[in-house]
Amino acid sequence: MRKVLLLGLMLFFASAVAFAQDRVITGTVTSAEDNMGVPGATVLVKGTTIGTATDIDGKYSISVPAGNNVLVFSFVGLRQQEVTIGTRTTVDVVLESDVTALGEIIVTGYGSQPKREVTGAVSSVKGEAIQNLPMQSFDRALQGRAAGVQVRSSNGLPGGAVNIRIRGVGSINAGNEPLFIVDGVQLNNQSNSNFTQSNPLAFLNPNDIESMEILKDAASAAIYGSQAANGVVIITTKKGKQGKAKFEFNAFSGQTQPMKYLDVLGGAEWYEMRRDAHINSNSASPEADALNAMGRRPSNWQTLSREQLNQIGLDLPTYDWQREVMGTGKIQNYELSVSGGDAKTTFFLSGSYNYQESSFKPVDFERGTVRVALAHQANDRLNLETNINLSTFQQNVPFSIDGAFLGNPAFSASAVLPHNAIYNEDGTFNTAIGGVLGQNIVLVNAYNSGLQRTNTVVGNVIGTYKILDNLSYRALVGLDYRLLQGDSYRDPRTPDGAGVRGRSSVQSDWRTRFITTHTLNWNKTFNGVHSVSAILGGEFLSETREGISGAGIGFPTFQFRTIQSSATPESITGFWTGYRRAGIFLSANYDYKKKYLATVTARYDGSSRFGTNNQYGLFPSIRLGWSIVEEEFLKQSTAVSELKLRASYGLTGNDQIGNFDARGLYGGGGNYAGSAGIRPTSLANLDLGWETNTTLNFGLDYGFFSNRVTGSVDVFDRRTKDLLLSQPVLWTNGFDNIANNVGELQNKGIEFELSTVNIDKGGFRWNTTFNFTYIKNQVLSLYDGLQFLPANPGIAVGQPVGNPATQGVQAPGAWFVAEYAGVNPATGRPMWYDINGNITYLPLAADRVYKGSNLATTFGGLNNTFSYKGFEATAFFTYEYGAVVNDGQYGFLRENGTRLALNALREVNERTWTAPGQITDIPRNLTTNAGNETRGAGRNSGSAGLLKADFIRLSQVTLAYNFQSSLVSKIGLSKARLYVQGLNLWTYTDYPGYDPEFTGAGTGQIPLTKNYTVGVQIGF
Amino acid sequence: MKFINKAILSLALGSTLLVSSCDSLLQVDPRQSIDANGALNTPDAMDAALNSVYARLRSVRNYGRDLLALSDALADVGQTTSNSGRLIGENNNQPNAHFQAGFWQNSYFAINEANLIIDGLAGVEGASQAQRDRWEGEAKFLRALYYFDLIKVYAYMPTAIYQPGVIDEGGVPLELTGVITSGEALGRQTSRATIDEVYTQIYTDLEDAKRLLTSRGTQYASSAAASALLSRVALYRGDWAKAASEATTALGSNVGTVLGGNAYVSGWRSSINPESMFEVRFALAEESIGVNESLQSSYTALLNLTNKNSQGGWGDFIPNATVRGFFGLTPLQTGSPATDNNNWDVTRNSDVRAQLYTTGNTVRGAGRQIESTKFMSKSGFAYADNVPVIRKSEMHLNRAEANYHLNNTAEALTELNAFKALRGLTAVNLSGQALLDEILLERFKEFAFEGHRFFDLKRYGKPIVKTTPAVNLAFDDFKILPPLPQREVDGNPNLNQNRGY
Repeated sequence: MRKVLLLGLMLFFASAVAFAQDRVITGTVTSAEDNMGVPGATVLVKGTTIGTATDIDGKYSISVPAGNNVLVFSFVGLRQQEVTIGTRTTVDVVLESDVTALGEIIVTGYGSQPKREVTGAVSSVKGEAIQNLPMQSFDRALQGRAAGVQVRSSNGLPGGAVNIRIRGVGSINAGNEPLFIVDGVQLNNQSNSNFTQSNPLAFLNPNDIESMEILKDAASAAIYGSQAANGVVIITTKKGKQGKAKFEFNAFSGQTQPMKYLDVLGGAEWYEMRRDAHINSNSASPEADALNAMGRRPSNWQTLSREQLNQIGLDLPTYDWQREVMGTGKIQNYELSVSGGDAKTTFFLSGSYNYQESSFKPVDFERGTVRVALAHQANDRLNLETNINLSTFQQNVPFSIDGAFLGNPAFSASAVLPHNAIYNEDGTFNTAIGGVLGQNIVLVNAYNSGLQRTNTVVGNVIGTYKILDNLSYRALVGLDYRLLQGDSYRDPRTPDGAGVRGRSSVQSDWRTRFITTHTLNWNKTFNGVHSVSAILGGEFLSETREGISGAGIGFPTFQFRTIQSSATPESITGFWTGYRRAGIFLSANYDYKKKYLATVTARYDGSSRFGTNNQYGLFPSIRLGWSIVEEEFLKQSTAVSELKLRASYGLTGNDQIGNFDARGLYGGGGNYAGSAGIRPTSLANLDLGWETNTTLNFGLDYGFFSNRVTGSVDVFDRRTKDLLLSQPVLWTNGFDNIANNVGELQNKGIEFELSTVNIDKGGFRWNTTFNFTYIKNQVLSLYDGLQFLPANPGIAVGQPVGNPATQGVQAPGAWFVAEYAGVNPATGRPMWYDINGNITYLPLAADRVYKGSNLATTFGGLNNTFSYKGFEATAFFTYEYGAVVNDGQYGFLRENGTRLALNALREVNERTWTAPGQITDIPRNLTTNAGNETRGAGRNSGSAGLLKADFIRLSQVTLAYNFQSSLVSKIGLSKARLYVQGLNLWTYTDYPGYDPEFTGAGTGQIPLTKNYTVGVQIGF
Repeated sequence: MKFINKAILSLALGSTLLVSSCDSLLQVDPRQSIDANGALNTPDAMDAALNSVYARLRSVRNYGRDLLALSDALADVGQTTSNSGRLIGENNNQPNAHFQAGFWQNSYFAINEANLIIDGLAGVEGASQAQRDRWEGEAKFLRALYYFDLIKVYAYMPTAIYQPGVIDEGGVPLELTGVITSGEALGRQTSRATIDEVYTQIYTDLEDAKRLLTSRGTQYASSAAASALLSRVALYRGDWAKAASEATTALGSNVGTVLGGNAYVSGWRSSINPESMFEVRFALAEESIGVNESLQSSYTALLNLTNKNSQGGWGDFIPNATVRGFFGLTPLQTGSPATDNNNWDVTRNSDVRAQLYTTGNTVRGAGRQIESTKFMSKSGFAYADNVPVIRKSEMHLNRAEANYHLNNTAEALTELNAFKALRGLTAVNLSGQALLDEILLERFKEFAFEGHRFFDLKRYGKPIVKTTPAVNLAFDDFKILPPLPQREVDGNPNLNQNRGY
């Protein structure tokens, strides 16, 4: 402000001595972000000290001396622009926001810092980058945006779980989820729910996010001590800004579409495949047997000739079950926000509605949110702030969201035999379905019903008191409250409901987190060169989860669908669990002339989850930086605009285990003959303590040519010691495992981020951002000198672990299987290699070798943005390489209907061995012995069923047009933007299943969709 | 600066208070579990802990399915339909297609729980001697039953040991004290006891149970059930005199009733089979094993006997030609149209047990088959049946067999013929090997689909011969025994794997 006044004063004097030949130039400075005038922007005549500041509407007037022809416009957070005046008297400029500027402020642990001074490995994603993406939770939108952060959708459920791994998988049994903090509230991010997946992060409308910072190295995260072992994602939501109220209306709508339909066989093709399999199995009547498997053998078949029977098979029709069950879905999103404030009080209010259907009906997601952010400067010293997010979302759920259940649409749609009609001629459902899927999945899907509702309140109250000019106290009280409710009905008209005459299940689950954080912030500069700042704080967190659920069976008719109408209570159960965490922490920063930077932090944390002997842990860290660009020899350089070396080392802890894993307990279980039972459920380990992560990180931040090229490179070595491992206990000793601190795991890698302005000429601008990550994961040691875990030999020293699909499950380990050797060309038998490299038909346990894991080693993203005048185009690619997966759905279909009468894939069927000499990987079809050779392993055994899940995906394409503010202001708008957007339009992969991006078994999971949307954004 | 000092001091003090009070700050106790220390100190807790040991019998890996359906699939009782693809490998005697790791796991968990109960008897406050006797007796009965099931699966029978004395052929680890601390859990690495040691321990436990118990219903252990089990254990051990005498004791008890004629058939249709001397109870709807792996589901595609068109289970494992031949079973159309499954039944001979088979339905892939209906949701909810572990009829067959070996062939023949009369069969007059074969044949017919056949062949060292599928499993084939769970062998250097794995 002082600067502006000074400039104003100078202007005053300048005008006073103005010469006659001076020109007066007027105009308006607007921001490209919102098309609003920028008040207080600086306008300078280049090469002089003559300047002015814009008024509250962004207007200015400046007197330009003769011989000067260039104006320089600048404002904090916006990119400086030089404009040649020419013969104009009016010069309007639009300032772009300066995303790549290193002058930006980065939110770090319990504070913020200019990016120039950050010494840890921190990635930042701005809210704009993920704006208006039709994604229900912001974690999904992080995919490909930041180096070192691997994001995988667990499936295509809108609002479903997202698998996010920061710098690899660092734990085998404890959680691998990062800590998510929204406005200072550390969230419980468990996405489990009874009837579907309910991603807790979906409570927040992603468009309410201002920025996301990802603390990747242990030193940056160490101030969060416990729970920080897997990195920290800090979300800052939008806040009000001083100025008149700004309204923004935002709407988009569109469609979801399946990315892929599997190419499965038709009715006659399946018949032929099965008939030939019966011939291979020496059946006396292969035609009749094949028809029998399809439920189409006529009762007088013994009177018919083989030719007649064959003709029946060849005449079988084909019905496209996938296109009946899958299809397009709706997307809708509406939101309205208003922000503004005066010198004392600022506010931000927003409301939103979001609806999205998956490609499988009735799977959908419907959300409403309300958000309030208020800040009030009560007096010179006291500032009060509150952020409140209210959210409710509801998901219609299918019979089940995964698994080989006959009633699961995502399993059955591709697997049901294709000759079965979906409807009878009179339009009713066909219920005589031949094949192992003996139920009409369309009927099952239509008659059953279920939904899951999630109500969330995340809010905080913050008070900041300025004790001295350089010392302030900040108190935060936060709440994360969530209620999940669901019900599910098995209709008595469906096979699964028929036996019990209908079943209704209901469920409620409360998750409450309370957090309070108190910090003292202090800073001082000595002799103008030594800057010191410090944070001292304490924190307490308490979480409880409580649930009840029940089911009733025996309904009078299908119209009665709620539990009170059931004749017999079938089950009733509930649970209670809780935990607490408490800690104190200290962080101290020092820099010398912004040239040499140092930060030390320490946190002392306790968790109720650990054994009484070992509940507390100390987590220190140190970060050092050398801002080379501040050195004299680089200060004058025009080529190098930023250069900083960073080094950090820190220790973080992980306590993401069961709340009572350290306790020796007897729990309820084993009711018998109508009376209650108890049994020992866990072994006590009084010494159970923290799993610790140490990360050594070296980084380099660079910027060249006035920051037209910027980025960073980081190398890291992350080691997890004292793994919270479920150490196997011999079953003969009565238990399965005990939680113990044993073993060591390593994630070593390199991260690379690059952001360039390729072209910036004549209003045309082309930006590219690119990131790349490579991580090598391996187990360094286990316990007792063991080279592999007895209960899970895939977890072995020197091998990578896999990526656990969800919270609370063990990391799966590397694939440890016999190597597939293809099909014997002479006989069509599948072959494997034994441990000596010889062919075997029946591999033994000793023949297993390591074949990688489902954890990708390489991943990243590439974004290109082109803008010209009001037009804007974005193309965003993500990629992944190195994951080896087992896809259960593909596995079932790969069997060619030999074990179970399920449909098969055309490409697999065409590769099937049929004649001697044929070299292929798909064995001959058989019908006996579950489709396998009598003395041979199953056709999907060993590495035969493993797939590479590499892909490059065009994740996002956006075409937008921003109307000129001068144009839209005529109809009272400050801004108007139209856009069309497509998600997942194209994937480069040779993956044969639905989609390489999933986590878990893959069986019957709903795949991701393509999304098309059209949207409008209006500001007024 | 003074102010700063004060502020820091107060925060530091506050933090100190925070930390010093942290023991209570971090104190969270579970609400649905209790501390293992002293968990069994009350009579109610003892009762509840014992319930859990019984409940583990319900596991699919034990009496829920595998001890009946899987072991019969290994033997020559039936064939598979491929309707759900289950039990095919077992029926073909494929390597590794045998009793699963979960059977070992669940059984040893139950044994540990029983051991903890026995160890904890002294610590129960306010219990009567009668209660203590009951807990001890039932825990020992259950421990004996689990060990007997383990050893009959994982080891050879004392009557037919393949290459006795070969290093890798032993019994099973014999654990007789409970584990409740991490030290014991991680420290104890027990090797396989000899077969004889395990049988001796089973005897000891059953003798104790016999002495300590009375009867409180056939869903619980009783003195008579202990005698009956002893009779079978003795039979497997070749201890013929014991097998006969315990059979006599069991038959003399008022636990269970030997039924004949139609009463025998209706016994199978009632919730609690009157023949049972001990049966595993499925009392609550939530205990149903469900459509995939229940006994009903494994044996028949029918949901119930009243409407054969209703879609039920899978009917994966059905009688083979041998069993169909026992009872004269062939498909029989009883009405029209032929497409209605209710218009189908089977032909039957005079053997009343033929009533326990009928035609299924066309809902599943394999079409209408002749199926066993011994398990038809008798507990009152879908896919749950109480499972008889010992039926009193077995005592007659045990005693006849034992008497044959004791050279009391006249008694053996009399008992066999009396039993045949109960089943609607005419008497035979046989002697020597033919008599023994007839006794074993009667045992085959009586216990088809109840999981006896595989072990009856095994204890005589006989091969398994099947035509559908065409599989011959010689007695010297390693696949007679299942592998011990690999994790147990990997984690316990003292534990020898079975031959061939």
